[in-house]
Amino acid sequence: MKKIKSELPIFYETAHAELASALEMLAACKGTDSPKLALGYFLHARDEYNHARSFFNMLSERGKKASIEKARDFRFTPPSLIKKGYISNKGFLIETMKLKDFIAFVYTNELLAKSSFENILILVGHSTEEGKRIATIMNDELRHHGMAKIHFLNHYPSLQPWQLMIYRMRETINNKGRKIYDANLKFLDRLLTPLYRAMAFLAGTMAKKLNLNEFKRKGKNLMNISSNSIL
Amino acid sequence: MFIGVTGYNHESSAALVDRNGVLIDFCREESLSRIKGDKSFPKRSIKKILVSNNLGIKNIERVAFYERPLSAFLHIVKEASLHMPRSLKLLTHQFRSFNRSSVCCYLDFAKFFKGLETKLIYSDHHLSHSLTALAYSNSKEDICSVVVDGFGDRSTASISQIVNPTEINELWDCQYPVSLGLFYSSITDYLGFAINEGEYKVMGLASFGDSKSKSAKLVRGLMDWDSNSNKIISDMSYFDYHLSTSNSFNKKLEELLGPARNPFVRLIPGDSDFQRCADIAKGAQDLTIYLLEKIFTHAHKLTNSKSFLFSGGVSMNSASIDSLAQLPFVEKIIIPPSPGDAGCAIGAAFYCYIKSNSYSDLNIAKPSLFPSQKEKRNDKFLTEQIISNEFSILERDEDGAFLKAAELIEAGEVIGTVLSCSETGPRSLGNRSLICDGKNKDAVKNLNTVIKNRSPFRPTAPAMRYGVAEKFYKLRPELYDCYKSMSATCKCLKNNVSLEFPTTHVDGTARIQIVENNSTLDKLFSILEPMGIEILANSSLNVSGDPTCFDLVDGLMVCSRTKLRYLLTDLGLLRRKT
Repeated sequence: MKKIKSELPIFYETAHAELASALEMLAACKGTDSPKLALGYFLHARDEYNHARSFFNMLSERGKKASIEKARDFRFTPPSLIKKGYISNKGFLIETMKLKDFIAFVYTNELLAKSSFENILILVGHSTEEGKRIATIMNDELRHHGMAKIHFLNHYPSLQPWQLMIYRMRETINNKGRKIYDANLKFLDRLLTPLYRAMAFLAGTMAKKLNLNEFKRKGKNLMNISSNSIL
Repeated sequence: MFIGVTGYNHESSAALVDRNGVLIDFCREESLSRIKGDKSFPKRSIKKILVSNNLGIKNIERVAFYERPLSAFLHIVKEASLHMPRSLKLLTHQFRSFNRSSVCCYLDFAKFFKGLETKLIYSDHHLSHSLTALAYSNSKEDICSVVVDGFGDRSTASISQIVNPTEINELWDCQYPVSLGLFYSSITDYLGFAINEGEYKVMGLASFGDSKSKSAKLVRGLMDWDSNSNKIISDMSYFDYHLSTSNSFNKKLEELLGPARNPFVRLIPGDSDFQRCADIAKGAQDLTIYLLEKIFTHAHKLTNSKSFLFSGGVSMNSASIDSLAQLPFVEKIIIPPSPGDAGCAIGAAFYCYIKSNSYSDLNIAKPSLFPSQKEKRNDKFLTEQIISNEFSILERDEDGAFLKAAELIEAGEVIGTVLSCSETGPRSLGNRSLICDGKNKDAVKNLNTVIKNRSPFRPTAPAMRYGVAEKFYKLRPELYDCYKSMSATCKCLKNNVSLEFPTTHVDGTARIQIVENNSTLDKLFSILEPMGIEILANSSLNVSGDPTCFDLVDGLMVCSRTKLRYLLTDLGLLRRKT
C-alpha cells in the first residue's frame, strides 16, 4: 500500500505531462502553415496521446488498489492541466514562442522526458509489461528528439549542432529553475498557510455580517437591474 | 455586433449575435483548447469568433459576461463563513484565488482584448439561462422560464415570468446552498464519477436501479419539497460542497449509504457493488424527477403558464423530461441544445442585443442547431499530407461520399462525420458524430465499447426522421423541439420491436433524436431509408474523456487513435490506411 501511495503521484503527474504534450503538438499541427510540418506534429501528437493513455492505465491500476480517499485525490480532471501549469494560461507554446524556440524546446524536453522515464522504468521493473511499454515510450521520445533535431537544422542550416547544445543547456537550466521555484513555492505555501488561514478567518468573520438580502431578485424585472453592476 | 461570454466556473464559451438578433457564431473554449470542461477565460473562442467573422474590437458594440461575479463570490464566502472553522480551507482558497476568479474578468478582457473591457456589461446568471432558452422558443412572450442548476450568482433554481424580452420578472428562487444540481453532483462524486462530467453516467446507471430498494429510499430522503413554504429543503449535514474545495459529501453520507466507490474501479453490470450503486443512482434520479415536478407545478401556480422554458445544468437530465411533459398543465417544454453554463454565452449575447434596442425593434431569431462556424483556415491545404500519409480518399464528390458512406453503414461499419458547422453541444446531432445502423447490434456494440470505450451501462442514442419515430416510440408533442436536440428520452411503444433495438436502454427508454430537415443526417437518411435503414445510432465523435471534435484535424486524430476506419468530411469520404 505504501508503494502504491508513493507511485500514484508519479504516474498522475507523468500522465498530465504527456497529455499536455499531445495538446501542444495538436495545437502546433493546427497552427502551422506547412502541410509537412502539420503531418510531423500530427504524428507526434498521436504518439503523445498514446503515451498519456499508457500512463493513465498505469495510474488506474494503482488507483484500484489504493484506499478510496487516496484514489479520489488522483482522479484526473482535464482542467487540472491548466490549474497545474502543464498548459499555460497564456496559451499554447506554439502561440507564445518563436518557432525556433519551440522546436528547441521540443528537442530538449523530449530528451529530458526520456531520462525521467528511466527512473519510472526502474520503479516498475524492466521485464514487466509496464516496463516494456515504458521502454517503447522512451524509444518514441528519442525518435521525437531526433526528428526535432533534423527539423531544427533543416530550417536553420546556418546553426551548428553546438548551438543546439546551448539551447539544450538553456532549457535544462530553465527546467531545473522551474523545479526549484516549484519546490520553494510549495515550501513557502506550507510556511504561509497558517497566515492565510488566519486572514481567511478574519475575512470570514467579517463576511458573516454581510447582508446579502438586497441581492434577492424576487418580484423584480431582471432586465431593469443595472447592467454595469458586478453585484 | 454583440458578444456573450461565460467562464471561470464551468465550461467557458463565447457567442456572437448581430444587430438583427441573429446568432452568428458560438464557440466553446474546450473545442479549441481540446481540454474537456475548460473553464479558463475564453480567449481562444473570442479570438476565433472575431477572426472568423472579420471583426475587430471596434465592430463590437457590447460584450456581456453571463453572471454578476462579485455576487457569486460573496454568496459562497458568506455561506462558508457561517461554518468556520470547518470551511476555513474553502475560504482560504476563495480569497487566494480571487485574482483568478470571475471577479477579475474585466482584467482578462483588458489583457487579451484591449478595448473590449470598456464595453463590458453583466447579466444575471439565471437571466442568461432564460434568454438562451427564450432564443430557441418560437414564442417570445408570456412564457415561464424555469432554471435549475448547481449554483448561479445567488440562487440555485428560479422561476421567472417572461412577459416579453424586456420584462422578465423573477417570482421564486431557491437559495444557495440548497441545490438540486449540487446534490446530483455530490451523488455523482460519491459513485466515483467526475463532477460536471459523470452526471449523465449516473442517469444511465439509474435505469438499472430499483426505486423500492433501501439505498434508493435513503437517497430519496435527503431532499424534499416543503408544500407550506414552497421551498426545497435539504439535510445539508450529509454534504460538504458548500464547505470544502475537495469534498462534495462527507462521512455521514458514507455512514448512510455505505462507502463511496473507488473512481478507478470500472463499474460493470453484474459486479458485486453494481446493484447498490445503481439503486443509489435510482434514488437520486427519482428525487430529481420528484423535485422538478414540484418546481414546475409551483411555476404553473405562479404564472398560470402552460409553456415552459427549461434550462440550467439539471435540464440536461433528459431522463426526467418525459415525466415533466406528463404533468397535466404542460403544453410545451423548450430546452435549448446547450442548456448548461456554456450555452449561457448565447443568452448573454442576446442580453446585449436587447439592452441595445427598444422593444419594438427586437427580433430575436431562433438560432440554428449548428451555429459554430469553422475556423478560417484552408483545411484542404493543411491536411493534404496527413491525409495522403494516413488515409485514402474513397470519394471526393459530396453526393458520392454520402452514397458510399450509406453503403458502408449498410455493411455494418461505423462512420465518423466532420461536416460543415459544429453543434452547440453537448450532444452531437450529426455533424460531429459517430454513426452506424441503429438496429445492427454488432455495429452498435462496436461503436459503444470498441471505438468509444464507454461504460457498458450507457446506451447510445438513436436518430431518425419523425415518421419513423412515431412507429416505435411514445412521442409527446409537448417535447417535439426537445427531440431535435436529444434533450429528452421517450419510452418505446408497448410490445414494440423497438424494445429489442440495441439503442434502447434497459428500462425501455431511448434518448431519441428526430433529425432536422436538410441536416446532414436527413440527407443521409434519404439514401439509407430506401436501403431499409431508418435508424442510426448516434454518438459524439471523440475519444472518451476528450471534448467532441471541432475541426477536421480533430476528426483525423480520433480516427488515428481509435479503431474508427471511416470519416465523412467536407473533403470527401476518408478511410484510415492501417
